[in-house]
Amino acid sequence: MSKFTNNFLAPSHGVELRNEALTLLSSLPVPTRRNERWKYSSVSKLINASLETYKGGEVGIEGWPKEINPNPVPQLEAYRIVFRNGVYEPTLSELPTFKGVVCMPLSSISEEQSKTLFSNKYHKTEWVGALNAAYYQDGFYLHVSKNIKLDRPIIVHHLTDGENVANFPRHFVRIDEGGEAEVVVWTTASQDSSGMCNSLFEASIAPNAQLFLEKITNEEGEIYSFAHDFIIQEADSRFKAHNFTIKGSWVRNELSIVSAGKGTDTIFNGAYLPCGNEHVDNHTTMDHTYPDGTSSELYRGIMYGKSTGVFNGKVFVRPDAQRTNAFQQNTNIVADRGASINAKPELEIYADDVKCAHGCTVGQFDLEALFYLKSRGLDENAARTLLVEAFIADVLSSVPNEALRNEIKRLYSERHHWS
Amino acid sequence: MSQTEEEKLIGEVTAKSYEFGFTTDIDSDTIPPGLNEGVIRTISAKKNEPEWLLKWRLEAFRLWSEMEEPEWAHVNYPKLDLQSISYYSAPKQKKEIASLDEVDPELLKTMEKLGISIEEQKRLSGVAVDFVMDSVSVATSFKEKLGELGVIFCSLGEAIQEHPELVRKYMGTVVPQRDNYYAALNSAVFTDGSFCYIPKGVRCPMELSTYFRINQAGTGQFERTLLIADEGSYVSYLEGCTAPQRDENQLHAAVVEIVSMDEAEVKYSTVQNWYPGDANGLGGVFNFVTKRGLCHRAAKISWTQVETGSAVTWKYPSCILKGDDSIGEFFSVAVTNNMQQADTGTKMIHIGKRTRSTIISKGISSGHSQNSYRGLVQIHPGAENARNFSVCDSLLMTDTCGAHTFPYIEVKNPTAQIEHEATTSKIGEDQIFYCQQRGIEEEEAIGLIVKGYAKDVLNKLPMEFAVEAQKLLTISLEGSVG
Repeated sequence: MSKFTNNFLAPSHGVELRNEALTLLSSLPVPTRRNERWKYSSVSKLINASLETYKGGEVGIEGWPKEINPNPVPQLEAYRIVFRNGVYEPTLSELPTFKGVVCMPLSSISEEQSKTLFSNKYHKTEWVGALNAAYYQDGFYLHVSKNIKLDRPIIVHHLTDGENVANFPRHFVRIDEGGEAEVVVWTTASQDSSGMCNSLFEASIAPNAQLFLEKITNEEGEIYSFAHDFIIQEADSRFKAHNFTIKGSWVRNELSIVSAGKGTDTIFNGAYLPCGNEHVDNHTTMDHTYPDGTSSELYRGIMYGKSTGVFNGKVFVRPDAQRTNAFQQNTNIVADRGASINAKPELEIYADDVKCAHGCTVGQFDLEALFYLKSRGLDENAARTLLVEAFIADVLSSVPNEALRNEIKRLYSERHHWS
Repeated sequence: MSQTEEEKLIGEVTAKSYEFGFTTDIDSDTIPPGLNEGVIRTISAKKNEPEWLLKWRLEAFRLWSEMEEPEWAHVNYPKLDLQSISYYSAPKQKKEIASLDEVDPELLKTMEKLGISIEEQKRLSGVAVDFVMDSVSVATSFKEKLGELGVIFCSLGEAIQEHPELVRKYMGTVVPQRDNYYAALNSAVFTDGSFCYIPKGVRCPMELSTYFRINQAGTGQFERTLLIADEGSYVSYLEGCTAPQRDENQLHAAVVEIVSMDEAEVKYSTVQNWYPGDANGLGGVFNFVTKRGLCHRAAKISWTQVETGSAVTWKYPSCILKGDDSIGEFFSVAVTNNMQQADTGTKMIHIGKRTRSTIISKGISSGHSQNSYRGLVQIHPGAENARNFSVCDSLLMTDTCGAHTFPYIEVKNPTAQIEHEATTSKIGEDQIFYCQQRGIEEEEAIGLIVKGYAKDVLNKLPMEFAVEAQKLLTISLEGSVG
């Protein structure tokens, strides 16, 4: 396995974690289909590729590909922190200067600030996680102080640009008591790029604080895109996440939420519409460890062409988490011959006074609805498009920010030729 | 309910010892514990088996030796030492039985205690009983009547002697030797079981029934059932089991294979009440069973099970819907109490066009038990217009038990329609309150609610079984509300 990591360079910060991860890297198994967590997503092709981490070159707008706007949502009034191949781009970024908010690249945090970092131990259990911990170049660090409400969302834009590039973004967010923030993580790749984007996002939300997180993947080229998001919620905190896969040849989104305090509120939704030979995998875990939490999950997907979709949603209710209310729904449409979906919604419940339900369906467009639309004069194509829009709208409409919502919809409609 | 009352009730239930815990003293011809090629040759020789079957067993043993014990199930148990089990035990007095008078009186007593006296069965219910005591069948009834219709219903050992062509043609076609660890073990060492063949177009006039018992200390049971329903036939098959109380773990690794030919229908019902171990999880049967049916064109296989026993259950009655328009059904009630662990569910493999399947699973967990549903619905690319509907509900009775759902849904055809839903909730306090308000004792109210909850499945059972199953549900759950 050392061959795969031969050309990976580890920067000099965060040495302690890196060394630990490097040791683990050799002992952790490389994911194979025999591993339950990777049963439906093969990485064998990636492992045999010869990748290298970015060695530097032109920075700023000069080095940035023309077809991609460094500001992915121009209509959105937002702060911005931009990375290209894992390297911070100060001239393209616009960091907040807001009282009580610290926002900077992870590589330049102070000794004091580094003490606030925490780690979810993903690198101890998964080879992919160890890879990130060992070789992460940079990322985004956000600390929102007590009772501070950040006025605008922050867009974290991450671009993979070039052939056989390996990059490892690592982001940390910490919201203190009563604080509020919204973060948009936007992952792109330029035309003909290839390689791997292995990212980690960790957030801790203090009591009564709130975090909104929107994740958008829109990658050209052939990138193996791994994302592991780990959220820890304290008492009465709120977390709302949205995950949209617009384009990406191989995408695996892992979202893991731990409710570590009473009365947390969690909403996480997602949509995936893979085409061609694309592969989209969504693994979510909701872990209720304290009483009175509520969680609601909605993931919807349409598989076109020869694409494959994977959904694995786990809900844990630990012995003490009484009066938990957990709801999970996964709805899929296999649109074309050759496309497939592998869904695995799971409930593991160890407390009795709970209300937990999951539903999972695989089906087609409602023929009656289709007929109704056609009887109103829409042609087959337009009627189908409308139904697709409506199908995704349930997920899209809960995105709180209108400008962002419109942009996501625009990208979907451009790709799928909606009206 | 107040804390003390609750504790009292729980105390009562946990104090309840296993009702059917008794052993029968019958001389047995048992070979020494251990597993090797020699043991398999001995079993085969003792049973006077043809050469091809010995080869088949040895091949299974070879495959098994290369396998590892599966660990993916949501269960925890001390690993078994398979070398400490004796792989063959047969009642010594083996002779042809024409009437009940010739049956060992001890055996008749056992059956009486179980409430399945052959006389009674013969007279009242018209059920033919193939009674399996340990591993060899000793009593078979109604054989003549079935014979007139051409129905073959006998022990597998007998079938191997008398209908080798049928056994050879079908055995291992649905559950091959290499299928899984325990199926491979069973293929190597199975001692006996039931064989059933329903000829073309015959509607079996009575329900066929086999009662299994584990009776010899330290004897693993390796039953093998082969059921073939030829074109256009129908059969309803009942399988029920109770096991005597014992402190050491007993392994039960059975294999059931069903072949449902074109337009045939098989209804397979099980009431499983192996010894679950005591309140501390000591003892109890390990039930690692492979059950699978193959449906040809427009055939139907319907599995109904009521699982209340065993310390550890690992069981997934499955349907391979190979033929067009075939139907698979799975109805299950799984009750776990004390330290019991159950990982059970089904697999519906849709290969043919317009294949349909229904899954209704009701889990009830109590005490410190863990109850999991694990199911697979797989739609192959050629399975046009396949349809599946699954409901998995779990009911939690105490705050120390667990209820889990692990459904796998794999769809490779755009015309498939799959619906799966699962809910987990506590037994409704308002429902109990309503019953109590109407003068129904709490205990009784719980029984009522649980029976209502499991009704969808219990209704699918043949009448005789439904009665037994309801009794079992009540026994397993009395007073265990939290």
